[in-house]
Parts: sequence; structure tokens; C-alpha cells
Amino acid sequence: MDPLRQDEFDSQACGSIAPKAKPCPRPKPGEAAGGCSFDGAQITLLPIMDAAHLVHGPIACAGNSWESRGTLSSGPSLSQYGFATDLTDSDIIFGGEKKLKDSIDYIAGRFAPPAIFVYSTCVTALIGEDMDAVCKEAADRLGIPVIPVNSPGFVGSKNLGNRLAGDALLQYVIGTGEPEPETDLGVNLIGEYNIAGEMWDIEKLMNSAGIAVTSRITGDARYKEITWAHRARVNMVVCSRALLGLAKEMESRYGIPYFEGSFYGAKETTYSLRQMAYLMNDREMERRVDRLTEREEARLSQELRPYRKLLRGKRAVLYTGGVKSWSVISALKELGVQVVGVGTNKSTEDDVRRIADRVGDDTEYIPEGGASRIIKTVRERKADIMIAGGRNMYVAMKEQIPFIDINQERHKAYAGYEGLLRLAKELTYSLANPIWKLAASPAPWDKEAPPYDR
Amino acid sequence: MTVNRRKKPASVNPMKIGQSLGAVLALQGCYRAMPLIHGSQGCSAFPKALLTRHFREPIAVQTSALQEMDVIFDANRNLEEALNLVLSKHRPDIIGIIGTELTDVAGVDYQNMLKTYKRERNMRGGLAFSVVLPDFRGSLESGFSSTVESMIDEMIQQVGHRGQRSVNTRQITLLPGSFLTPADVMELKEIISSFGFEVIVLPDISTSLSGHLLTGFSPLTRGGVPLDSMLQSLQSGLTIAVGGSMERPARRLHNAIGTPYKVFEGAMGLKATDELLHFLHQISGEPVPLRYCWQRENLLDSMLDAHFQFAGMSVVAALEPDHLHSVSGWLEELGVEQRALITSFETPLIAGMEREVWVGDLDDAEVLGKGADLWISNSHGIAGAQRTGAAFMPAGFPVWNELGAYMSVSAGYRGAMEWSNKAGNLLMQREAGSRESSVRHR
Repeated sequence: MDPLRQDEFDSQACGSIAPKAKPCPRPKPGEAAGGCSFDGAQITLLPIMDAAHLVHGPIACAGNSWESRGTLSSGPSLSQYGFATDLTDSDIIFGGEKKLKDSIDYIAGRFAPPAIFVYSTCVTALIGEDMDAVCKEAADRLGIPVIPVNSPGFVGSKNLGNRLAGDALLQYVIGTGEPEPETDLGVNLIGEYNIAGEMWDIEKLMNSAGIAVTSRITGDARYKEITWAHRARVNMVVCSRALLGLAKEMESRYGIPYFEGSFYGAKETTYSLRQMAYLMNDREMERRVDRLTEREEARLSQELRPYRKLLRGKRAVLYTGGVKSWSVISALKELGVQVVGVGTNKSTEDDVRRIADRVGDDTEYIPEGGASRIIKTVRERKADIMIAGGRNMYVAMKEQIPFIDINQERHKAYAGYEGLLRLAKELTYSLANPIWKLAASPAPWDKEAPPYDR
Repeated sequence: MTVNRRKKPASVNPMKIGQSLGAVLALQGCYRAMPLIHGSQGCSAFPKALLTRHFREPIAVQTSALQEMDVIFDANRNLEEALNLVLSKHRPDIIGIIGTELTDVAGVDYQNMLKTYKRERNMRGGLAFSVVLPDFRGSLESGFSSTVESMIDEMIQQVGHRGQRSVNTRQITLLPGSFLTPADVMELKEIISSFGFEVIVLPDISTSLSGHLLTGFSPLTRGGVPLDSMLQSLQSGLTIAVGGSMERPARRLHNAIGTPYKVFEGAMGLKATDELLHFLHQISGEPVPLRYCWQRENLLDSMLDAHFQFAGMSVVAALEPDHLHSVSGWLEELGVEQRALITSFETPLIAGMEREVWVGDLDDAEVLGKGADLWISNSHGIAGAQRTGAAFMPAGFPVWNELGAYMSVSAGYRGAMEWSNKAGNLLMQREAGSRESSVRHR
């Protein structure tokens, strides 16, 4: 077992550095929600846009999941192709390795990708396919990296899948290439997947402070740029503790300092930019960042004024995984929205501590229990709006609760200063929509008092 | 045989959907039901997300959440735990246990486990059944029809066999195929009941996934056919199945309790609707209601209006087998060229088609349908349609790039008219678009 794997199992895959962190709870049969490790691995790696992503298994794992994530590309779209070995009965009886090999050859020949990622699934893991060997042999023969991602669904949660994907990057990608001579070296953004184009807002911001992005891991990434990630001067772990292990390992292997930050809310954004400049150890850059953040914050607070007036005192229930819980709380607080309930089901102890730092004692923690538990909190705490993932969207609609989607399927980018403004607008639109009144009032013939005297 | 396959080792841009998703869909059409997928978490999370995206409704489904060690040691312990929890917490009327490729390959015997479970707990009054649906066979369509078949089996076992039933000749059991939208099911229900029949639909997604504001959220299905109606359907005088895949459940009813059945391969287009109405007219002795006579005129008129638009046009369609068969019949009536027909797996209905059909994926649609003017497939086809320059018409499952897709009608004269207008409009817009761009670039 290599060191990273060891670390994962020690810390029980939940992303905490503290040795006595609570373990990832076993999903409860009959009451489990959320994706599997296979899903998690794809979330992390699919944003490598020019690579081919081949799923080795029966059709459903690929067929039911491709094109379901909101990660955007600024150019190549091969990663949006759904590739699957589509195993049949006889493949499972006689083994699917031949089909896997042929599939890799076929994809390499027809699409000429810079790399192919191959994902194992429950079935191929169960029947003991030697995927690593097939990939290695194919890579040697074809002269392109063919990377096995050993993250079948039944090994655990989505979170573990993120980490196993990070593992694959460390083992097969990072450190295998060198940057082009004219590349300006700077910061790796780890765990930012360009959902709804958030990466572009962040990159624009960094560039205007003169901070270069070395590798995007992996939002809107190209394969090549990840191979030279080891040359970056700073690692920022953006809002996803799932890849914290990757940053830690890069620190010990390549001596790259890392920090955890977020781009949700103006305060967090400013902090993250300052932290980058500080770790780059560049006084001039720090001054540029100060000027930029001051200017942006001033502009933002001007633009936010009308929305703040409308949002002040509004109450929200927030139900989202891990890190986003505390970082989104910051953003909401800046808008004057009070968080009266917050989900902690996927949070580590560190996350919960951070949540506690940001909300008062009056906030209810929702450890688990799914949709009905969230709704109960909304009702009891008289919340005005629910902020959660797409899975709970229509649950809220049925209960006629205003809703904002915050997870990977969303269509709005909320990162950075621009993102906070967008969040303020979305909250306002959602709360002010006439539908809430219309849906709550009965049809004229259902009203109790007759419209005329009988 | 007119079924072909392109030779390539991998599936590229698959259109095939796991069978278990079809099972989850079927159970959404039953009131207070809970589909329970016996597999790892993703086996239920993906279908749930996909169905939610398509129908824009909460979807009831749970999982036994298998992990590696559970599969190795005892997968059924998880299932038992899941059953205990679901039964005590939500008290569903119907539980469908859906086996996946994972349980199939691991050789988990959950059928027997369920039998024992039911016996030991003396479970009565609800339906609990299991269905084996590995994803390396079939697709959404077969998963859906197999689930209906298992459900019928379980109903028959509960109520008992032939002899004990009184037949209600004014009552018809409708078995709608998986390709029919909630609005289609509603349309068929209306058509049949307009001849004076009581209709029990099995399963009835028209009252569960059609978008209603039943207040409040429940982890179980809301709407759909209730259990007592389901059991009452065993007294129907006739079964009408729509879609070739629904023949097997209909035959099961026939073999077990003697209900005669009639299969309509589809209900789309002039000829198919004529057939259905003529049949209903004959068995009921009632005249065809005036509104359908009107709708027939409307359809013919709109086809006349649109025929200029369709002249010389060609279409590529990639859909589930029954759906493809229906759509192909409708295209025939429009007089357009069917450049390529692609489906997810082979069925008897497909094998019997006079046209050439390919079993494959959306990449095959791109290659074989090159030069087509109109592209009909699920939302995964958008990019392929763009690359080939065809106008894109979303149909089938999943559709996420259009609001209200689940309420679009294709059945009956009205459905054919809606589809003809929609397809004609798309071609018209495409023409306008290409004219505009040629002006701009001059």
C-alpha cells in the first residue's frame, strides 16, 4: 500500500487530518442517499476535458450517469462523450479484458486523446479483472497514458471516490510532464470543477492580481497541464476536502505549500487571494492583491446594496455536503441572510467547528435523515428559503418552499465577487417570485364563503 | 431479419439505460410504493437523479447500499435491514426489490430471502415482490415490462387463480409501455373511457409523474394506481397492452386467470389511432365520440399543412425499441425518408420490422444518420445532432433540455398532430437559421 492509501484508511476517508476524526459512517440500507465511489471518481476526473473517459462495466454505470454533471468546458469536449465497454453476460463469464483492450485501442485510434482514463465498476472489480495490467500494456503499446481508476461503487461513498481519483492523479499523472518554457508558474487550484463556469470567474480574478494558474485540478483542465502540477509554487485546496490528501502528498513529495480556501463570499475570496500571494512570498503581488480586493469589495458592496435591503433578516436552511456548508454560510451572512439550519451529514469535525464559528447558537444542525428532516427544520425554524442540492429541489417545490440549487448540477456560478452578486440576485428572484402566492391560494370555487348571498 | 450492428468494441455515447431504472419508473406509477434497489449506492443514486431531471418531480427509491464486504459476506443482511427500516418507517403498500448486475454476478439469492422474510413476519395486505434485472441485458423498456410482469404475478398469487373471480366486462386493464409519457397515458385513459369503460392502468404514471401539487412531501410515491384498484383489475374483462414489450405481462394475466388481451404495438399516428378507436368501437358497440372524429380531421389537415415542410426531408431516430417502432410508423405517414433507425437492444417487434434497424448507440446515429435533416432521440443526442447539422427533436428518456417534455402527447390523433407540428416547426426554424447565416456570411 502506498502512503496516500494508508493515510486514507487511517483517517477513515472522511478527509480529516485529526487522527481521532469520526469515521465515514456506513451508509444505512433503506435510508441511504447520494452517489457511490465510482460517481465520486468521475466527478473529480471528468473535468479533464480533452481526455477520454472509459467505463469498464455493464452499461448502466455509464449509461445512467454520463452528461449529468454541470462542469463546463471552454474548448475540447471529448470528456463529454460517454464511453463504456458495455459488458454482456458472456463477457462476464469469460472475462472482459479483451474487450477492454479493444475498446482502448479503438478510442485511441479514432479520437487520438492525450490520455485515457479507465474506470472500474462493481462488476469488473468483483470478477477480478486485472485492469491495471491491461492499462499498462495498452499505454506501452499506444504511447499515451492509459490510467486505471480503481474506484468501484461498492468501496464506499462519493467522497472516497474523489480521493481515489486524486490517488490516480498522483500515481500516474502529476510529475510526468514539464511546463512549456513560456508558462508562468503560480497556483494549482485543487478540487475546483468549474461547475457552471465558476473556474472562469476565479481565474479572471487571479489574473487581474497577476497570479498565474499552473494547473486546474480539474475544472476545465487539459491533460497536459496536470502533468506539470508539481512545478507550481502554491496549492490551494478549493472547497473540497476530498482532495486534501493530494495537496498533503504534494507538499511532502515536491515541497509545495498548500492552504484550504474558498471563493464563496467576498471575505473568503479576499482571504484566499491574500493567502496565495503570501505563500508565493511576493511583496509586490501582495500589494496588487490588496488593491484589487479593496476595489472589488467596494464595487461589490455598492452593487449589493439594493439586494441586501431585501434580503436582510431572511432565514435560510442550508443542506449541502462537507465544506460548502461553512463557506456558503459566510456568503449568506454577508448578504444578511440568517442560517437557521445547516446539514452536517458529510462534514468532518473540522467542518463542524468552522460552521460553529460562523453561525450562532440558534442554528439547528441536521446530521442526517434526508428530505423529511430538512423540511421539518424549514417549518419549525420558519425559514424563508432552502439551499440544497438538485436532489432535494423538487421536494422543496412540492412543499412550496423557495429553493436555490448549490450542488454540482446547478447552472449558476456563485464563486468570487461576481458570484456573490449572482447569489444575491438569485435569492431575491426566488423569494420574490409571484408563484409562491399563486400556488398557496385556492381556486375561486374552493374558497369557503360564497361570493353572493343565497 | 433486418437487425444490424456496427462492429466496434466499445459503446460510444450510449443510449441504453439500465434495466433497473425501468423498474423504478414502473413503480412510480403505483400509489404508496417503494422501489428498493439491491446494489451499491450508485445503483439507486443515478436512476434517482436521472428520473428527477426528466420528470422534474421527486422520485421514490431506496437502496440496500451494498459495500464490498457486504457483497462478499452476506448481501441479504443489508436487504433485510433496508426492508425493516422501510417497512417500519414508511409503511409502503408496495415494495419492489430490484436486483442489479452486482447481486446477479455475486449470485445473491434475494428471491428466496424475500419469501422467507414474508413468511417469518407474516406479511399480508401489501405487495412485496422481487425482480431480477441485471444491466448487461435489455434496457429501460425490458426493465419496465419485467417489473409489471412480476407485479402481476404477485397480485395473482395474493388473490388466487381462475374460478374465484367475477368478470366485469365493462372494465379494462390498460398496460401502457414505458415509452408513453404521463400525458400519453392520460390520453389513452380518456380515449378508452370515452367508450363507456372503466379503466385501470397498471402502472399509472399519469397521476403520479404528471406534475401535481399534492401538498407535502413523502419518501413514498404520491399518486399512481392504488393497491385496491390494482387487485380489482384482476376482474377486468379485457387487457389492452400498448407497446410490444407489454405483451408478456398481458399474456401472463391471460394464462393465469384467463383475461383476454389485445396488443397495440403503438398508439401514434393516423393508422395506429384508427385501429385503436375502431377496436374500441367494435367491442363497446358505442359510436366513436365526436371529439375524436374532429381530431382526426384536425390531424389530417395539419399533416396537409405540414407536408411542404417534410418534402424531401430525412430523419434519423434513436429510441427504445417500442418507441422506435411507433415513431417509424408515424414517419412513414409523413412521407419523410428514414435515413437511419437505431435502437438499444433487439426485441421481437424490432426483428419483425420491415425496415432496417440498427442496434447501437448515439455514435452510430451520428455515423449512419449523416446528412439527415431531423434527429429524434433523448437529450444525450443534442451534441451529435449539432455535429451532423440536423434539427434536434428531444424524445424518449431522458429529456432535460425542454420544459414539460413529460407532458407532451404522442398518443391518439392529438398526439400525432402535436408531433407533426413540432417536427415541422423545427425544420422550419432550421431552414430560417441556415438562410440567416448565409446572408450574414456573404
